Amino acid sequence: MSRQPRAFFALDFGSATTSAAFVGHAGGRWRLLAHAAAPATTKLDALLLGILDRVQQADPELLEVVSAQQRPKPAALVVDLTRLEAHSTPPRRLAVLAGSRRQRRRLEEVAARAGWLVVGASADADDPVAMSRLVLSAATHAVLLGADSRPAGDERRHLPMLGALVAAAARSRPELAVVLAGGAAVRESDFLEAGEHDRIPDPAQAAAATQAAPPRPAGRGVLLAPGAESGLPAGAALQQVLEGVRARADESRLGVARSVGSLAFVLDRCIEALEVGIDGGLRCRAEPIGPGDRTIVSSHVALAAGSFAPLDPSDEIVDAVLSWSTVAFDRYRLSDRLRDLRISPWGEADGEGALLRLAAAKAAAERLVAATPEISAREMPDILIAAGGVWASTPPSVVALAMADVVRRPGIGRLACDQARLLGPLGTIGDEEERRRIIKDLADDVLLPLGSLILPSGIRQGRSAGRMRVLGESANSDIDLQPGGIWAVELPPGQTAMVEMDFRDTVRLGARGRHFSVEVLGGLGGLFVDLRDIPLRMPDRADQRRATWEAWQRAMWSEIDE
Amino acid sequence: MTKAHAEAKALPAEYTRIPARRILVVSPTIRFALGPGDRALVSAGQSVEAGTPIAELTRDAEYVEVGRLPRPGDGNGASAVADAIPTLTWKEPGSDPILPPARDTGRGGGSDRANGTVAKGPGEKPAAPKEPGIERRQPPVPGKWWVGGSDRRGRAPGRREQPRRMAGTLLFEIGGRWRAAAGERHETVGSPTAGVVTEARNGLCVAIKVAGAAIPGAVAGGVPSRGYLDVPRLVDGELRDTALDVGRSGAIVVAGGRVSAEALTRARAMSIRGIVAGSLGQGELRDLAASEARQRSGLHPLPPFGVLGLDGHQRRPIASPILALLAALAGREVAIVTDPPLLVLDDLDVPLPELAPDWVRVRSGPQAGREGRWLGSAGLHRFRAGIHLEAANVRLGDDLTPTVIALADLERFIF
Repeated sequence: MSRQPRAFFALDFGSATTSAAFVGHAGGRWRLLAHAAAPATTKLDALLLGILDRVQQADPELLEVVSAQQRPKPAALVVDLTRLEAHSTPPRRLAVLAGSRRQRRRLEEVAARAGWLVVGASADADDPVAMSRLVLSAATHAVLLGADSRPAGDERRHLPMLGALVAAAARSRPELAVVLAGGAAVRESDFLEAGEHDRIPDPAQAAAATQAAPPRPAGRGVLLAPGAESGLPAGAALQQVLEGVRARADESRLGVARSVGSLAFVLDRCIEALEVGIDGGLRCRAEPIGPGDRTIVSSHVALAAGSFAPLDPSDEIVDAVLSWSTVAFDRYRLSDRLRDLRISPWGEADGEGALLRLAAAKAAAERLVAATPEISAREMPDILIAAGGVWASTPPSVVALAMADVVRRPGIGRLACDQARLLGPLGTIGDEEERRRIIKDLADDVLLPLGSLILPSGIRQGRSAGRMRVLGESANSDIDLQPGGIWAVELPPGQTAMVEMDFRDTVRLGARGRHFSVEVLGGLGGLFVDLRDIPLRMPDRADQRRATWEAWQRAMWSEIDE
Repeated sequence: MTKAHAEAKALPAEYTRIPARRILVVSPTIRFALGPGDRALVSAGQSVEAGTPIAELTRDAEYVEVGRLPRPGDGNGASAVADAIPTLTWKEPGSDPILPPARDTGRGGGSDRANGTVAKGPGEKPAAPKEPGIERRQPPVPGKWWVGGSDRRGRAPGRREQPRRMAGTLLFEIGGRWRAAAGERHETVGSPTAGVVTEARNGLCVAIKVAGAAIPGAVAGGVPSRGYLDVPRLVDGELRDTALDVGRSGAIVVAGGRVSAEALTRARAMSIRGIVAGSLGQGELRDLAASEARQRSGLHPLPPFGVLGLDGHQRRPIASPILALLAALAGREVAIVTDPPLLVLDDLDVPLPELAPDWVRVRSGPQAGREGRWLGSAGLHRFRAGIHLEAANVRLGDDLTPTVIALADLERFIF
């Protein structure tokens, strides 16, 4: 008698990287048995076969248990096992049109937070031809026409023209999605009035085409959405609509956000994630309303600008990468390298290429943090997760340092990495209860512990800030806390240590005080004690800045000179 | 091609994990983006030859209030203005305006105007004729071609003032009155290659399924262009700027690993039609775009000029199988297309180079550009900075010892 296999593949098809994880039900719970990541060009079956071969070599009995077969053949299992898939949505462009520059800026901000590449124009500043050019461009996938719910005169007088312009573009391009937000919804009639005779003519085959093709239902593809001021925070409602228009149902980025919400529920912890990919990035936060409360509050922002290798990097992006780089580049050379990184994301993943990739990832994470002030204003989360393919080949301690560099809030928290990239596929499970059940089992496997971070603020420069003692099974350290530095104390994964800190002055570390005693968890990077400024103050001169980054980086990345 | 495929199939699975690079694509679809004011001169399903006018671009399109336009059957269409399709004279893209002066509207070229064909210039072929007057009979819709000017609205020009003639495409209707994107300067774009039009929409795009094959590139700049392929002798994989002389006028020149901004300027001045290089820097592309913009605003623009980077932006020599293919194609007519970046060949009869079945090239990293033979998998290897990556042993060039290269830094070639 054969039983149903109790195993599945969780697959995350990124634009640059395909990640596969083999999850099986053994020992009474779901467990991550193996995982691998490879360039997106790699054949999937070969990747999955490699994973199963490794499991079979390491523990053949385990494979028999989860596959419910005796002497299972990995090649057959590759075909038979269920696959839970998440995909990246290719970058899509939204044209924002508004009556006024003020409204346009608000709409652009909301659209950018929904993950769109945004171009915009306003009737008070731009020519209708320029606006038509934006809307008719093949690179534009959707149009957002918005106005205040009660538009003022400066917006209202332009709305008829804008409505007619967008309606005409929608007739020319039936594939164009149109969103009318806020007060612009009154222009819906422009779209409903379009009749069959208003289609674009096909001069050579006009007669045949009009008879053969069924008429497009008037107004199809037009969505009415709340204005940019609706929701809490303002724009949240419109952001949700725009996300729905942009993303596919099984998008991995939004899957990460959903999984983080489930993790927060399961662990009863405040969790934040920072995901950086080649087509964009995500910052999300989920936390229980109060201690022991089962209600989770979550927010997320997907940002196309959160890509570590954007489509067409502007000078600002190139400068931002330069400011994080430990390698001296001139602007043009760096611009070329960033563009090549997009063409070949796995190219030169070692040596100088790894340093460039790290600088690009930090710059992208910085953009994500800058775009989410409402999350930055909250306290340090209990767990901060680094997610995304860009971290796949980076040493854990370096990932931890990158997180500490970018997310600078006083407090004590754990750092983790979604190394197996399970959060995206698990987030595609539609049933919230089922997702929570699986994540509850997998919580320890999903999060690769990087270590704990202690990040106090209010430390005075120029003298010792105090002392710190770390007392644990394998870690017993006494550290003189010198301002401006970062220390890594070895504390392996699974171990805990008691940290006692005596500061000379009152500092902020979650709460304000001079004496703190906390228990911390270990990780691959250990315990990080960060006494650098909040926010980081770096030298203005490029060579000094590079030297500063390099000094901190070298402490965590001893293999850098290999 | 079949033999190469058969050999590839015989290779071990580890070799096939190396990212494959296709040297030739068969019948790709190429696109020409149009904007407001631009119109397609062809229609879907139509066959075009190299040089066939496919689109008419309106330079410096302005926002024009057209007024009311009658629909067919309204009974007042005698003075309809969205009807006249002017006689178009084929010239080089970027040449003088092609619309005839107003006084010529009523005479000469009437048959061409009526059937919508485009008169050809020397060596150029006309587009297939449209059904007579079919565009005229269409109601005004966004994107429809419109011709008008001050004289068309009942205002006679002054004695010294030339009537202002404008043409473009309708944008939208508001309050029964139409607006258009129109201008006085127009230029025609010819197809750089033969094929079948798959999509043609005024103000949007023209897409053509190419009849022949194409060599894919990574980046392109300039505009689509056509010329004979010239593969000069390269020194250390590079072409000296001085080699770009007037003797290569009309050619698409293979210029080695990298081409400088100065070489591009020189090539344009020598009426060279295009440059194919291993890589193109963003700085050079930016300079070229600025130069294009200046040329567009000039009265006597130069012929179309395109550049194609086969690998990307960082300096790399052209891969030897591709260079061998280009050498075999020398003298043939080819075209550079920018969307997507391609070097288009007119036919499918392409002399494929002999290629060892285990031939690989390093596409990134310190050894970028070097080529050699794959010896076998090296498994998970620790590289610089302690990064662990899947790797392969490769004998590069004449090296005596094999080199361990990350799989992701390698590429193999397929046809």
